[in-house]
Amino acid sequence: MSLRQRLVPYWLLGPGLLWLIIFFVVPMYFMGELALRSGSLTTGYTFDWAWANFPDSLSGHTEQIGRSFFYAGTATILALLIGYPLAYAIAFRAGRYRTLLLFAVIAPFFTTYLIRTIAWKTILSDSSPLVSVLQTLSLVPPDGRVLATSGAVIAGLTYNFLPFMILPLYANLERLDLSLVEAAKDLYSSSRQAFLRVTLPLTMPGIVAGVLLTFIPAFGDYINAQLLGGTQQAMVGNVIQSLYLNQRDYPEAAALSFLMMALILGIVSLYIRFAGTGAFMGGDEEEAT
Amino acid sequence: MRGRGRRRSTALLAVAVAMVTLAFGLAACGGDTVGGGNQDEVTTAKGGPVSGQLTISNWPGYMDPGPNNTIAKFEKTTGVSVDYIEDVNENESFFGKMQPLLKEGESGGRSIFVVTDWMAKQMYDLGFLQEIDHADLPTVFENMRPQLESPAFDPGRKFSVPWGSGMGGLWVDTAKAPEIRSVNDLFDPKSKGKRTMLGELREPVPLVMLAEGIDPVEATNDDWLNAIDRIGEAAESGQIRRFTGNDYTEDLTAGNIVGAIGWSGDASIIENPNAEWRMPTEGCSLWSDNMVIPVGAPNVGAAFGWMDFIYQPEVNAPLAEYITYIPPVEGVQDLVKPELAKDPLVFPSPKFTAKCTDQDSPPDIEPVNEAWQEVITG
Repeated sequence: MSLRQRLVPYWLLGPGLLWLIIFFVVPMYFMGELALRSGSLTTGYTFDWAWANFPDSLSGHTEQIGRSFFYAGTATILALLIGYPLAYAIAFRAGRYRTLLLFAVIAPFFTTYLIRTIAWKTILSDSSPLVSVLQTLSLVPPDGRVLATSGAVIAGLTYNFLPFMILPLYANLERLDLSLVEAAKDLYSSSRQAFLRVTLPLTMPGIVAGVLLTFIPAFGDYINAQLLGGTQQAMVGNVIQSLYLNQRDYPEAAALSFLMMALILGIVSLYIRFAGTGAFMGGDEEEAT
Repeated sequence: MRGRGRRRSTALLAVAVAMVTLAFGLAACGGDTVGGGNQDEVTTAKGGPVSGQLTISNWPGYMDPGPNNTIAKFEKTTGVSVDYIEDVNENESFFGKMQPLLKEGESGGRSIFVVTDWMAKQMYDLGFLQEIDHADLPTVFENMRPQLESPAFDPGRKFSVPWGSGMGGLWVDTAKAPEIRSVNDLFDPKSKGKRTMLGELREPVPLVMLAEGIDPVEATNDDWLNAIDRIGEAAESGQIRRFTGNDYTEDLTAGNIVGAIGWSGDASIIENPNAEWRMPTEGCSLWSDNMVIPVGAPNVGAAFGWMDFIYQPEVNAPLAEYITYIPPVEGVQDLVKPELAKDPLVFPSPKFTAKCTDQDSPPDIEPVNEAWQEVITG
């Protein structure tokens, strides 16, 4: 290989690397530096290796962090339960409607996220037809409500991030070789066994990707909690927003953001390892060996 | 291959760590600060010709719409081209957004901000505002309502010019909860979860103190914290449904709530025939939103021209008809539609607001704000 040929990958890497440096590494540096400052708004925040910001930022906010896990986790599971059958149906049963159905999955993106969430406020408002139906079915107590509850926040998160679950699942299912399922059935497996032992393992990469793409943004989301939640539904995103914009305790806000990033990174690494998806990280491994 | 790859990445990591440490070290040497003000160098805004380009940041709903609105009239009269931005949704978050610029002595191209009394004071105390020479604004100081001439936060109006005033009090759905007349009634467990409060510290907390017979202007930090505790308990028990910004008006329209702490001028955006703003029996909170000139403001001449322009009663009257808050200009009452002229929420008599209190900050803001934010993000 000539030197020029060997340099090609680096040239190709260039634009992406530059992008990451400008919009990720540099902001991260400033945020890290901010997280280690101390002081107050009036005196100004001075850099002095204030590591105490990190434990301080956690104190009093563990409830919201736990809540974020619970909401994002529930929303992810719901999105998987709704998204998998849907992606499966689109991939194998939709026939000529496949494109149309895929379009329908993506269509909500043509309206901004904020407007869609605000629309849910109307759909879920106390005297809305939907809530009356739920009350008639005794799913909601007669004097109860949906809006401004945990249920509304989880529903909003599920709705908003559902396409991020469906699309990777679909991309994965679409490539599934159906003759393998057929072969399993030829070998006397039931449909259920064929699904559990052939389809599911083969679509694991799609599930892992979908779960990550849903869970990570849902964990940091604050719009759903703000618009659809009440007084006891704040998530960690709302806390960071309040620290930044209302209390203007920039160092503590930056420290909390860092800790949440580290936490998510840790969980994701564990998850990828646990999910054991050679296929998901496949490209990497092939290159390494 | 694998082993070599790992060694290489370890080396890379070491280099990265070294670089980050070095970078932080440099930052520590630099000793620069983020935030903080420069109180020592308060300047007086210098006027000039009324021409060129003018950028104004104001709250939504504070400008009459249409091709012949107040801005168009100003542009036609003076030849100034106005960029009118409605990006002040909350004092706190607007300050949060502008603070990094103001710290550098810049205003983001804006010549005028419109912020509430206490925020104007906070900005002034941090050295983020320029003082105003009354001689530059003859019309403003000739026509300003006398009650507004010397407020506690800015005696003698050194740095602020009122845009409009309003009252914080109770919005009630009179068909569903006619009994709500005092802020204390919001804590009554009847129709639990059907009441909201504003999320701005200085609105609900002083109103709760008033309802308990404490004068918010004289209140100690403990008084503030006690009132916050009371609100916090009500939030935790589900008595209070949400803490809102202006969106309580949507909840009232949708019938989600029967009572709220809200503002006197919002009738036009609440589509519920039974909704009524009530003066709490114990009194309301009174505030103004004020035009201020930030440091680094370009084209102060045009900004002064704008202020003087809208302080002409005949210019302010159509604006007042649209905004439905209390206009700051004397003589507007005689020029607006008769039904508006009679509206006590737009032209309140001194008797109507006798028990009201000026909006104020707690003696020591930081612990109070922290306790409040804990309640808000419960």
